[in-house]
Amino acid sequence: MQGPQASARQAALLRAAPSLLLGALLVYLVAVPLFFLGLSSLRPTGFPFDPGWTFDNFRAVYGAPGFARLIGDTLVFAGGAIGMALVLGTLLAWLVERTDLPGAGLVRALVILPMATPPLLMAIGWAMLLSPRSGALNVWAQAWFGLGAPPFNAYSMGAMIFVQGLALTSTAFLFLAPAFRNMDPSLEEAALASGASTAMLFRRVLIPLLRPAVLAAGIFLLIVGFVVFEIPGTLGMPARIFVLSSQLFYLANEAPGSMPLYGQVGALASLFLLLLLGLGVLYRHFTREAARFRTVTGKGFRPRRMTLGAWRWPALGLVGGYFLFAVIMPVGMLLWMSLMPYQARPSWANLALVTLENHRDFLDSPRVLEAMGNTLLVAALSACAVAVLATLISWTTVRLKAPGSAVLDALAFLPIAIPGVMMGVALIYVYLTLDPIIAIYGTVWILVVAYTTDYLSFGTRAAGGVMVQLHPELEEAGRTSGGSGLLVLRRITLPLLAPAIAAIWIWVLAHAMRELSTALMLQGRDNQVVTTLLWDYWQGGEPTRAAAVGVWLVVALLLALIVWQVLSRRRERLP
Amino acid sequence: MLRVEQLEKRYDRKRADAFAVRDVSFAVAEGEFFTLLGPSGCGKTTTLRSVAGLEMPDAGEIAIGGTTVFSSARGIVVPVARRDIAMVFQSYAIWPHMTVAENVRFPLEATGVKGEEATRRVARALEMVGLAAFRDRPAPLLSGGQQQRVALARAVVKQAKILLLDEPLSNLDARLREQMRVELRDLQRRVGTTAIYVTHDQEEAMALSDRVAVMRNGVVVELAAPRDLYLRPRTVFAARFVGQADLFACAVLERQEGVTWLETPLGPLASLGQVPQAGPLSLLIRPEHVEFVAADAQGANLLDGQIRRVIFSGRLVEYAVELAGGAVLRVQGTSGTLRGEGEGVRLHLPPERCVVVQGSPEDGE
Repeated sequence: MQGPQASARQAALLRAAPSLLLGALLVYLVAVPLFFLGLSSLRPTGFPFDPGWTFDNFRAVYGAPGFARLIGDTLVFAGGAIGMALVLGTLLAWLVERTDLPGAGLVRALVILPMATPPLLMAIGWAMLLSPRSGALNVWAQAWFGLGAPPFNAYSMGAMIFVQGLALTSTAFLFLAPAFRNMDPSLEEAALASGASTAMLFRRVLIPLLRPAVLAAGIFLLIVGFVVFEIPGTLGMPARIFVLSSQLFYLANEAPGSMPLYGQVGALASLFLLLLLGLGVLYRHFTREAARFRTVTGKGFRPRRMTLGAWRWPALGLVGGYFLFAVIMPVGMLLWMSLMPYQARPSWANLALVTLENHRDFLDSPRVLEAMGNTLLVAALSACAVAVLATLISWTTVRLKAPGSAVLDALAFLPIAIPGVMMGVALIYVYLTLDPIIAIYGTVWILVVAYTTDYLSFGTRAAGGVMVQLHPELEEAGRTSGGSGLLVLRRITLPLLAPAIAAIWIWVLAHAMRELSTALMLQGRDNQVVTTLLWDYWQGGEPTRAAAVGVWLVVALLLALIVWQVLSRRRERLP
Repeated sequence: MLRVEQLEKRYDRKRADAFAVRDVSFAVAEGEFFTLLGPSGCGKTTTLRSVAGLEMPDAGEIAIGGTTVFSSARGIVVPVARRDIAMVFQSYAIWPHMTVAENVRFPLEATGVKGEEATRRVARALEMVGLAAFRDRPAPLLSGGQQQRVALARAVVKQAKILLLDEPLSNLDARLREQMRVELRDLQRRVGTTAIYVTHDQEEAMALSDRVAVMRNGVVVELAAPRDLYLRPRTVFAARFVGQADLFACAVLERQEGVTWLETPLGPLASLGQVPQAGPLSLLIRPEHVEFVAADAQGANLLDGQIRRVIFSGRLVEYAVELAGGAVLRVQGTSGTLRGEGEGVRLHLPPERCVVVQGSPEDGE
């Protein structure tokens, strides 16, 4: 009887093999950096394998006189921004999906515009508009209304919340629009037929139905709000307003005494991580709730649309205002600045100054070309790695239901809660330590590793979602037709998943192209990318050159996102 | 052609009573149309998928055409792709990224049939299901009925020893379902393949099958030809599952020369045929077997009563007749003669249609 038993053990091992292999890879990508980060916070020197143990780093961080203010500012910033994004995003989603707003389809298509505008560029654009000294809006307001002092200040908490709120609105919209769109109108009709008043319909049916989706969106935005660095870095740091993410950056880069305070970074990051992991768990809980409430029946139903009547004009004004503030004004300002020889405000007189020099410079400089090459290489490689890994992981967890799937899923989800700055620092530890074996520190490869880890949670969730929709019988039919596992994978599963995988690829490509904070942390001699170059120009007092780089980045992102949209549409058409 | 022995599958290894399938054994002869019939969750689909190899049983043995494809005792598990089967799925599972012809050609590609031979077989299979004109149509542009036919063509093109069908008609509307039922039976006869069919629709099972296995809670309750199953079921569950049935608790009074006298709530009745030996017994009467007779008719198994309710559904009329003792019996008539509510009637229960089955009347409700 040894035969069957041995083969049973073999079969069990074979079943566990995919989770073991992928699990090991994920532990290496996700858990090891975090472990190094934790270890370093307990070392006097701040390096994970230096001798000695200490709690000084924790004392320094949490006992610092400014700590309470840091936490307060972080909460005000994140809370304010997501509050604004949720209100605006919900209003927009409702107007587009559930009312007779003219041009709703166009609005839905245009939402990719804010996505193609990286937060960094939005911040720079608004800094050019609202800067107290030379901001165009301030200058105009002073001239037209005869004000003595500039009315706006770009380097303030208010401006940070305003710009971050605008930046997150498109994300909120993308989260909420499907929830509004997929709500079965018969649920409302049933309530109305039961004699419910409009107020009761909202209170008892619509709000409870939408609550999980709105909460899930809110928590996702809260995570993003805690993690983002670009806007607090651009608009807050000059005014010495710090939030957790910019404080991390400050400690790792520009702290007094010129030595990076890596130990303190680790100590601060551990609080951050706990907070974000808690939010991550909540987020998963609410997305499951939301999925339970989803009422897509496959039948093409038309949701009831509310007639706006005279409210049409304020509604259109709101939508127009959003695009004006989120895209047209900041990007227009960038475009204008990119054509100026120095930071000159928009006016008819200054039109005479228009020059293509910044753009010519941009396209000629070997430094820029190298950065562009690096950006494309890093983005493309990370996109490939995420596409492959995400497909394999969701295949293992959704289809094979291999043992340990829950652990794989959780590990792949974890990176969503790791801020770019923190990922950067953690990878510095890992690859400085591993330098004798894996010498990628300071090269583009360390960025590839960072982005692959960073975007894995998005990729895995997207691939898993499509995999769930793919009827298992499609693959089973291939196997009962006599096809081997490989043939079924090649001829059936992959072709069916191709549009979704391509959409993930493009999404990661676009996001890796616009990422700043990780790239800044890991910046070395040989791995400058477009965003770090842009940051250098901006910080180095060359705003017009920064603007030119920004304009080209927007163009590239826009192209990538249009392809993404087309692919996503095609995926929706599949059964 | 197919032999299944002592098949067992648990859906939860930790619980002792968590069986999806338990002790299922049957054999299917070459060319036979064999159906697994039962309510959802009875284990019929699990059994079929175990034969296909899509599901791994915990114990038992399965042999296809003399080749053992699964044996827990001998540690044999032949992978799906190497089993001599073809399968039609409930969702049809037509690959949306291929044309009709590409869908049908796939099994040939997978089993190494190429060129002229493959083209010929694809054309023949499509002709058989009446889709020859649709060969280059992309699969998503087909109607439900057409997708069903593509699924059939894709299964028969492989010329496997056994054709497995998992509720293939359940997604079609009623009219199309009846039409496809006839076509399916014709196709199976023409191809001469052995078919294992899974359904929860008793009419479908009756109309298609040579033999039907009725399953419940993972166990085969009864296995018989459709006529025997309908007219002479052995259990209350099967009696009720395959058709309309009135069941009354009964006990044997005496047996004489093939006739069994029963004590029932309707009074003493004569029954012909086998009577189970032990356990609680029930008398099965199907509404269409009860006859209206003249008020002065004489003989055994006559009952008097009054019509309490009439349900007119066109071709058929169902009466609820309250008998003298208070019991209510359903009687089916045709619209040829209509009777009114409150009318007094005399009924005759033919002894050969008074079937004694095992179990109490509440079983399987």
